[in-house]
Amino acid sequence: MSVGFWEILALLLLVGTGLAVVRLQNAVHAALALIANFLVVAGVYVALEARFVAMIQIIVYAGAIVVLFLFVIMLLSAASANVGQDLLPRLPWVAGLGAAGLAAVLVYALTRFQPPANAPALGGGLPQALGPLLYDPEKWLYALLVVGFLLLVATVAAVVLIEPERIISATSHPAHPRQDQKPTPPMTEQKDGKAVVKR
Amino acid sequence: MIWLIASALLFSIGAYGALTRRTAILMFLSIELMLNAAALSLISFSRLSGSLDAQVVVLFIIAIAAAEVAVGLGLIVAIFRRRETTSVDELRQLRG
Repeated sequence: MSVGFWEILALLLLVGTGLAVVRLQNAVHAALALIANFLVVAGVYVALEARFVAMIQIIVYAGAIVVLFLFVIMLLSAASANVGQDLLPRLPWVAGLGAAGLAAVLVYALTRFQPPANAPALGGGLPQALGPLLYDPEKWLYALLVVGFLLLVATVAAVVLIEPERIISATSHPAHPRQDQKPTPPMTEQKDGKAVVKR
Repeated sequence: MIWLIASALLFSIGAYGALTRRTAILMFLSIELMLNAAALSLISFSRLSGSLDAQVVVLFIIAIAAAEVAVGLGLIVAIFRRRETTSVDELRQLRG
């Protein structure tokens, strides 16, 4: 693979937006930098003959996951990265050294990879090529079913995590649901009041 | 080959962020960066060796990342409701 202008530009954009994600002090800006990083990665996927994965990357990663992050950051008013006290003032230097060492080891290991001489073409990585692999019982069909079930379990877990008291009390005391539910509405009202006061 | 190096750099940057960030949400963002770097290396290997299986694995990675974000952000919101904080330094009640 030749290294031209666009490869260098994409590499610089990837590293720059990655550094912005880990260094920016405003969480909203960091999440927006993460979206930029994912979009550049999607462009790289297109260049690497993985067009379907590039579309999924834009739709699911940049479109759904990071927007969920942005919702939570704004819902909790947790945009500032400087919370609490700095317990380890020298941690950035140590972490930087560790990350540089990790990068050196990874680059050394990955550049020793010898690709096969005549690799077959991928057909652009279009759904026509990926579908038969995904739904082949001897390849990935059962993994696909397990991942679908995992998504269902994660959805149920997210719902239970948000309202644990209400759901657990409703299932364990079906006769007196009112008694245990009463303390929860004032709490949420207080939260709403605080949020309004902050704004 | 340059994309393998790019994925190594992105993974290291994500590891640096996961080590230095102090709020749970930003640590989570850095972990997403690391996941994405691993997916980039898989796509690059897929191109180099001419096999589509790695692209299927990347699809699974994206689906699992979605599930992980749903559960993780649910946890962060639940903790914030109890403690009014997302700082990971203040959540050390489990320390013996």
